[in-house]
Order: sequence, then C-alpha cells, then structure tokens
Amino acid sequence: MSILVLLEHHGDELQKGSLSVLSKAASLGAGDVYGVVAGSGVRGLAAGAGKYGASKVFVADDPALEAPLPQPRVDVLAKLVEEQGIDTVLLAQSVLAADVAAGLAARLDAGLNWELVDLEEQDGKLVGTRPALADSVYVKVGWKDTPRIGIFRSGTFDPKETGGEAEVVDTPVQLEDFSSAATMVEQAHEEQQGPSIEDADVIVAGGRGLGGPENFSLVEELAKALGGAVAATRAVVDAGWYPYATQVGQTGKTVSPKLYIACGISGAIQHKVGMQSSSVIVAINKDPNAPIFEYSDLGVVGDVHEVVPKLTELVKQRKGS
Amino acid sequence: MAVRPADYPPPFDVAEVIAAPSDPPDERIDVGLLIVGAGPAGLACAIRFGQLLEDAPELAERLGDVPVAVVEKGKQPGSHLLSGAVVNPRALRRLFRGRKRLEDLPFYGPVEAESVYFLTPKSKTRIPAPPTMRNHGNHVASLSQLGRFLAEEAESAGATILPETAADRLLVEGGRVLGIRTGDKGRGRNGEELPNFEPGSDLVARVTVLAEGTQGHLTGAAIEQFGLEGENPQVWALGVKEVWRVAAPLRRVIHTMGWPLRAGARYREFGGSFCYPMGDDMVTLGMVVGLDYRDVELSPHDVLQELKTHPLFRRILRGGERLAWGAKTIPEGGFLSLPKRLHAPGLLLCGDGPGLVNVPALKGIHYAIESGALAAETAFAALQPGQTPWTPGALDSYDEALRDSFVWSDLQEVRNMRQAFGKGFWLGGALAGAMTASKGRFPPKPLGTEPDAVQTLIRTKRARRYPQPDGILTFDKLSSVYASGNKTRDDQPSHIRIANPVARDVGEAWARMCPAQVYEVADGRSANEVTVQVTPSNCVQCGAITAKGGRLTPPEGGSGPEYTLT
Repeated sequence: MSILVLLEHHGDELQKGSLSVLSKAASLGAGDVYGVVAGSGVRGLAAGAGKYGASKVFVADDPALEAPLPQPRVDVLAKLVEEQGIDTVLLAQSVLAADVAAGLAARLDAGLNWELVDLEEQDGKLVGTRPALADSVYVKVGWKDTPRIGIFRSGTFDPKETGGEAEVVDTPVQLEDFSSAATMVEQAHEEQQGPSIEDADVIVAGGRGLGGPENFSLVEELAKALGGAVAATRAVVDAGWYPYATQVGQTGKTVSPKLYIACGISGAIQHKVGMQSSSVIVAINKDPNAPIFEYSDLGVVGDVHEVVPKLTELVKQRKGS
Repeated sequence: MAVRPADYPPPFDVAEVIAAPSDPPDERIDVGLLIVGAGPAGLACAIRFGQLLEDAPELAERLGDVPVAVVEKGKQPGSHLLSGAVVNPRALRRLFRGRKRLEDLPFYGPVEAESVYFLTPKSKTRIPAPPTMRNHGNHVASLSQLGRFLAEEAESAGATILPETAADRLLVEGGRVLGIRTGDKGRGRNGEELPNFEPGSDLVARVTVLAEGTQGHLTGAAIEQFGLEGENPQVWALGVKEVWRVAAPLRRVIHTMGWPLRAGARYREFGGSFCYPMGDDMVTLGMVVGLDYRDVELSPHDVLQELKTHPLFRRILRGGERLAWGAKTIPEGGFLSLPKRLHAPGLLLCGDGPGLVNVPALKGIHYAIESGALAAETAFAALQPGQTPWTPGALDSYDEALRDSFVWSDLQEVRNMRQAFGKGFWLGGALAGAMTASKGRFPPKPLGTEPDAVQTLIRTKRARRYPQPDGILTFDKLSSVYASGNKTRDDQPSHIRIANPVARDVGEAWARMCPAQVYEVADGRSANEVTVQVTPSNCVQCGAITAKGGRLTPPEGGSGPEYTLT
C-alpha cells in the first residue's frame, strides 16, 4: 500500500489538521506513507513532515500554486498518483481540500469517502469510519477499488511526532490548460488576536449563562491568563454578543483542545458535537441539571460571574509565582 | 382579554412573491416543464412526463436541453419529506404501468393487522377501525425513502433535479405564469452579500407545476394572485413523529384517539397518534394535532413525548433507541377547502399544496402521485404543436381529469368530517359516523371552517403534565432538532415573518407550538406584551407558524432538516 497525504500550509507552517492525518496514516503501518506540499516557495516546509511519519515528501513548488485554488493541486496529485503508484490519497477537511478531493475523484474516477473520523487496515483493505444520521451512529465505509481518496473531519486527531526524517523530492509541475481558468482575485484575512480556536490548546467558551455581551470580558480575561482562545455558543452568536467565527458546535467549528472551559453553557447536543473530543472539559454552570455536566470531566455548580473571576485570579497568581 | 394569533398578522405581502422576470432574456434558464418540489406529486409528474416524451422525440427536441426540471429546496430529494406513512399503492401502480412491481418499491411490507384504540392515561380500549381507516392492501413506507427512490426514477426518465434550490418567487407577466425565480444564496444575517454570494436565477418554462407540499410558499401566493380560493379557508394539523430501533418487532399498525388530547369541545383538540412497523427492527410513531386548538400551552412535540409514557407505547419502545425525529403540517380542510380551480394560465397545482388530503383516511400520498401524473398528461397535451399552455382554459383538462379520478370521489365522500370534530370528539365522532354511512350526503349543507389563527386562545395549565425529558424515552426539542439532521447555516437572513412584539398569549403559544424551538419569549416589555426571539436555524419548515398567524418563507436552499427515515 502506498499512501499520499496532501499537506496544506498556511504562511510558513504546515497545517495541524494535515499533520494529524499524516501521523494517522503512518500509524497504520500499512506500507509507504508520503506527503506532498504544493505552493510557491514552500520547499523549506517539506522536511518538517518527517517527524510526523512521512518517509518521503514531494514538493511541487511553482508560482502557479501560490493561490489556494484546487485545480492546479488536482494536477499535482493526479500526476503523483500515476507516476508513483499511489493507491490512497488522504486529506484533512478544509475548504480547499474538499475541492481538491472532489476534483481528484472525478479526474481519477476514484472512490471518495468523506468526513472520516477513523481509518484502519483490515486484511489488506482500508476501512474508514464516518458518522451518519446526524452523528447518531458511526458506519464503516470502504473502497471498491483503487485509487482510494479519503477526507478526514477536522479536529479528529492530534498530530503525533514519531521522529524520523523525510526524503524531500522535487516534482515538476505540469498544469492542464483548464487548470488556470480560475484565478484568485482577492484574499482577505480575518483579524484576530491570540490563537485561532481550531489551533488553540486551551479554549474558554461563553454561553447565554453569562447574561449579556458585556460579561464576555470575564471569559476573555480567563482565556488571556491561560494563553487560550475564546469561543462562543450559537445562542450568544445569534444574539449578537460575539462574532460568528468563534462559534463552536454543529453549525460552527469543531475543536479539540487539551482544555475546554465552558462558562454558562447548558450543553445542548448541537454544542457538544463541536467540542466533545476535547481532552479535558470543565463546566461552570449554576444549573446542576444542565446537560453539559453529563460529559464534563470537572463540573462547577456555581455562578459564572463569581467563579470565573476567581479562577482568573488564581491562574494569574500561579503563573506569576 | 381573549386574543387570537390572527390579530397579529405577519409583515408579509403576497406581492413580494409575485414578480416579473428580472434577468435579461439571454441569461434566463429555459426549461420545458418546470416542477417545484421533489415530493411524490412533483416526481410522479416528472416520471409520467418522461414516459410520454419517450414516444414523442420531436416534442422532447423542441423543449430544449432541459425538457423537465425539478427544483427542490432540501439538501437532496427526500430531505424534507415526512409522513406516517401507510401508502395506498393504487396511484403508484398506475404510474409505473407494469414497469415496476410492488416488490421493487421501497416498502416495509403490507399492513398485516391493525388496531385502533381509545386511550386514557393508563389504559386502552380497542374500538373497531372506522371504515375510512382500514388499511388492508396498503403498505408501510418512509416517505423520505420513497422520495429518493422516485427521484432516481425521475432522473432515469430524463428529468434534471436541482436540489438545494428554493423557489423564491413566482414569475408572472401578463396574467401568465412564466416560471420561478430561485432564492439567493450566501447572504448574511442582515441580507448583506457574503464572499460566497450567488444570486438567484430566473427559471422560465412553458408550463410550471407547483408541487410544493403543505404550506407551499408559491402555491399560497398563486391561489391569492389568481383568485382561486375555495369555499372554505384551508386549515392544518401538525404532525410530530419519531423513528425508533426496537428490540421486538411490531406486527400491526396502531392508531389511537383520546388521551393525551382532551375531548371537550372548548379545547378543540382534534387528532390522534399512529405507530407503524418498519420491518422487524424499527417502528415509527407520531402524534397529529389540529392547529385549530386553543390552549396556549399545547405543544404537539410534548404531547408526543407524553404519549410515549403510555403503557401501550412504553412496551413497544422498551429497550429501543430513537433514530430520527421530524415534524410537518398536513392540510386538513379537505374537499371544501380545495381551490376552485387547480390551474391558472401556464400553471398547475398538485398534491398537498392545494390540499388533496383525505383526513379521515389519514392519506394523501396516492392523491399527490395521481395528481402529479394527471398534471403531466395535461402539460404534455398542452405542449403539442398548435397548443399554447398559457391561454385561458388551455389547462382545463387537468381539473376535468382530476374530477373524473378517484381523488375527487374519495375526497367528496368525506368532505365534512374534519369540520365535525370542531364540535368535540364525541359529537364529532357521531357526525362522522353518519357521514360515512351516507357517503358524504349527510349533512346536506356543508359545515363551515374558520382559519386556525382566528381561534381565541385559552390557558389550562396543560404544560405541567408534559414529562421531563430523560434522553431515553422522552426528549427535549433541541436534541430532537438535532435528530432531524438539521444543520442550517446560522448566519443567513431570517426566513420567518412574525409580528413583534405580540400579546403574551400569542408569543407563548408560538413558543409551545413550534416543535423545533424556533420561538422564545424574551423577558421584559410588559405583562401583556412580549418580544419574541426567533432562532430561524432550528426551523424544520413544518409550516405551523403560517397556519397560526405568522408566515414561513423558504430559507436558503439546502437549509432545514435532512430527513432520511421519516
């Protein structure tokens, strides 16, 4: 078996999601695991993938790959699949990766399984797991044929460092005529302070229990003291207390930090599915019957307006000493 | 002071929904036959039209690249389909004309046995099944699954299905329906264009078929625009249902009347429950309540939860697990609420939209299919050389065919039954018996109907009886919305129009009525007047709010529930 993982990058860092998929692929122990980095001026990033389990990293470095557009990447991947005898291409969910995966599936007439949350080898075949019926059940999915394409739900795993070094191999870029039909007109960046909620190790999230938008400062201060990011529930985003980009849950972002502190959040299932894979969940809520306590590692029954400032204070003292 | 939801009309004008084409002619998308809604009516229409085109290649040629298009607002065909359902296969047999056998259809098998019970809180009394409710020869199905099957058949018959596409406006020019305009996508909460904004398009057709189902957005507007209102106003019921995986198979279909609804005439609580087997390891059960009810605290979702605590249902569900949940309204006005014509120049109306439902028999799917097929035949005839489907009278043959069909005779026989139950369960039951015996000739004068939203509201502390959700047998609304598969984008404009602020009773009635927790009464204002906070992304588009004083419009295509088993 030979597996190729698309390694997306942002600025001069490989994306955490891509590295997670790479280390998952390596952990299967099912043959060769390669990475591919596609972009402009990205050669320096390639070697970094070695410690997440890639034995070889292909580099497609070309000004035509500067913009995050799918078709040129489909060209790169399709060529590698054909020339290197790749039988499996894996990607981490992102807007770009979803387009690339769909385009590649069409180009290679390959089977595509999406929203994977797990992958294992069984008797020489790959078997994925994906949620169905609105996450109420998990189903096993496979591929009838090769090449196989799989795209993983974001935030499913953490990248694991396993040491090792990767051989960096340049691959010439040849684009199809139609691949330059789309051009990027403009790219905008959302301004934000602190780590983004997808990448943060610590998230402090606020819900309707805060009582009003002005009380989000309590959450912000705790997040700042812990070096974490601030997230919000749908209810408070809906009410206009906090921006949509910070919404965690079914219709927001899926996160899996090491520590998730839920302040004044009742914990409806729509919220739970966005954060249930956090390593440690701490809930602060004055209602002892709030569903969030059913899946918290530590629960504090109390008023967020009193508990959170004290917690912030204590964190500051500890960090200061 | 007694208030009525109708005292708070929504900020909505039918003129918003009727428009002339706005895209320049060369940018309009031209199709032959345009069908709105990939449900049983619309898909049957597409399938029948495809069959007719097989033998008419020159017409197919003339209709262009897309001879038949079906627009569907759900994520895929079936996403917004929900019914009991016990299906009378009659219309499907006629539709497939021997090309498909019953065994090829996604049915869970014929009804083997049936029981009708009158319930009290702890006990049940078996009563003989009323003649209208006998289901021998009918088949249990998930309408969502049947819809997916019909969609595949329609595509192989040459139809182009456009999912995630809302039919936002009816294009009308010179008194003639030209097609529809699809909804914009990628607008932010305040209507602003987001980076992925895509404007809607004008879809123009020779004939437009509205098969939108219950509370059809354009159907309602078309009825008003063309003055098609029937003798009675339309009324609706709200059905809430669940699908369960169960430990032991259920071998019969069950209907119940009585508890948890109340029999007294002053409550106007007409409805009942159903429980059907779906193979050996699943059952579906649901509760249907007429929306002419009066109690502010009545919540059909919570009444269904209450129903499941009855020993009869506890036993069926023991050791089981809930798989799916959903809700939808059902037009209940019957024969006398049908539009006076089911067509207008260039336009045909099918299925639940115009109200082709037999309430006493709890059936409408086979009428939807039959009406869709008849609409296809009319459209086909009107598209022949020398015909113009948009001249007045050109589509008369649709109404004639419908009047000659079993749809009309069935509905005529039961025309007054739903109205009788406005008089309470016992008197209503007695009147319904007399109507059945006389095949609809009794009573000689039709019984009147009032719109659901004009019933004055009362309060009876009913909510205290609702069970606390335990997450095993009984569930709250939010986790139920989740089980509907709904993951609607939150930052889009609200598609729900209501008056705001409103009388406290009206606001609280909406909050209780809505099975999806779309409405919450915000604190503040005064004792009698409240602001209603709306969470549109919870909405499963059941349509109850339109019946009860607000107005549902279609959100961005692809929003709403993603039903698969309902």
